[in-house]
Amino acid sequence: MLMRNTILLLAFLFTSSFLIAQETPMSASEISVFKEKVSAVAGKTETIKSDFVQYKHLDFLTSDVKTSGKMMFKAPDLVRWEYTDPYQYSVVFNENQLLINDGGTKSKVDIGNSKLFRKLNELIVNSVKGDMFNNSDFDVEFFKTSDFDKAVFTPKDAKIAAYIASFELLFNKDDGHVIAVKMIEPSNDFTRIVFSNRILNQPIDASVFTH
Amino acid sequence: MLRFLLISSCVVLSLTACSLKTTEGLRQLESTKAVVVNPYFSNPEIDYVYKAKIEAYGRNFGGILIIKKMEENHHRIVMTTELGNKLLDLQFKNGVFTKNFVVEELDRKMILKVLKADFRLLLMEKSLVLNAYDSETQRVYQTQKHNRYNFYFVSKESDMLEQIRNTSKVKEKVVVDFYSETGKEADSIFIKHKNIKLHIDLKKFKDE
Repeated sequence: MLMRNTILLLAFLFTSSFLIAQETPMSASEISVFKEKVSAVAGKTETIKSDFVQYKHLDFLTSDVKTSGKMMFKAPDLVRWEYTDPYQYSVVFNENQLLINDGGTKSKVDIGNSKLFRKLNELIVNSVKGDMFNNSDFDVEFFKTSDFDKAVFTPKDAKIAAYIASFELLFNKDDGHVIAVKMIEPSNDFTRIVFSNRILNQPIDASVFTH
Repeated sequence: MLRFLLISSCVVLSLTACSLKTTEGLRQLESTKAVVVNPYFSNPEIDYVYKAKIEAYGRNFGGILIIKKMEENHHRIVMTTELGNKLLDLQFKNGVFTKNFVVEELDRKMILKVLKADFRLLLMEKSLVLNAYDSETQRVYQTQKHNRYNFYFVSKESDMLEQIRNTSKVKEKVVVDFYSETGKEADSIFIKHKNIKLHIDLKKFKDE
C-alpha cells in the first residue's frame, strides 16, 4: 500500500512538474526570431481556408458549448465565419459592415460608428493572420512549449478590457501559423477556437464575402 | 332613462373589457391540482443551450442562449453572440434578479425589464393554481404573479406543457409556445409579445 502510494505520488510530482515546465517565457532573441517568422508567414498569406471548432466555456456549465464550421480569409481584411453545426449561420466582416445570414435571415450591422467594435474586428482579422504584434492597443507576452508558441495579448484600453481580459494565440512551432485562438473574459469564461485543415493561398471568389 | 342607459352601457363596456380572450370557450373546472409545473428548465444536470433568433421592431438579432439551474430557485442565464462574445449574464436567485454583465448596447432599463419578465416567465418552475379550465384537448391552469396572470396550457393526451399565456386582467401580453418530444426538455420555444414588436425563437442544440 505504501509502495503504491509512493509510486502514485512520484507519478503525480513528475507529471505536475512536467506540466509546469511545459510553458516557459521566450527570451528576447527568441521573441524577435518568432515575430519575424510570423510576420513573414502573414506577409505571404493571400487567402486562408480552414475548418474550425469553437468552444464556449462558462464556468457554471457541465460542458463547453461547441459549434463548428469553416473560416475564410482574404487579404487584407476580409473574413467570413460560417457555422454549419449545429446551425447554419455566417458572418462576413466587410470593411465597416457585418453581413449576417442567420439560417436564411439576412441582416447588416453597421460597425462604422463603434470604435470598440472596430477594434474587436481588427483583432479578429489580425489574429487569423497571427500578425498583430505591432498593435499598440495591447501588451504582449511570449511563451514557448515543446509543441507550440504562444502570444498573450492584454488590452491597455479600459473599454476593451471590460470585454476581454486577455487574448491568446497559439502558433504551430514549425510553420508559424495560428492553430488556436482563445479570448478570455474578465469573468474568466472564455471562447476557444481551434483551426484544422488549413488551405493557404488558393483563390477564393470575392462573392464569398458578400451577402 | 338616460341615466339608466348610461349606467347599463358602462356595465356592458366594463364586462366586455373584463372578459379575457384567453379563457373564451373554456369550461371552468370545480376542483384542480394545487400546483402547475413548468419542467423545461428544472434539471440541474442539464446545460440548456439554444440558438436564439430575435426580431425586435423589424430588426433581426441572433445569439446563443444558455440556461442552467444551479440549485433550487436559482438559474443562471447567459446569452452570447454566435462568435462567443457575451451579451448578457443574468441570474434569478430566490426571486431576486441580478445582472452580472450586460453589453453597453443592451444595458437599457426598458430592454432589461422585458428580458427579466420573459426569463421569469420561462424559468418559473412551480406556481400555485388559482383557477383551472378545460377544453377538448387541453387543461388550462391559471396562476397569478403580482398584477399579471399566467395561463398554462397542458395537453390532456401527453400531459406536456404546450403554452403559457401571460395576461393582465383584460389583455394578453406574452405568449410562449413550447414544442417538446419528451416533455422534459423543450426542443423549440417561441416567445411572442403582443404589446411590443418582439419575437424570440429558441431552438435547442441537438444532443451529441
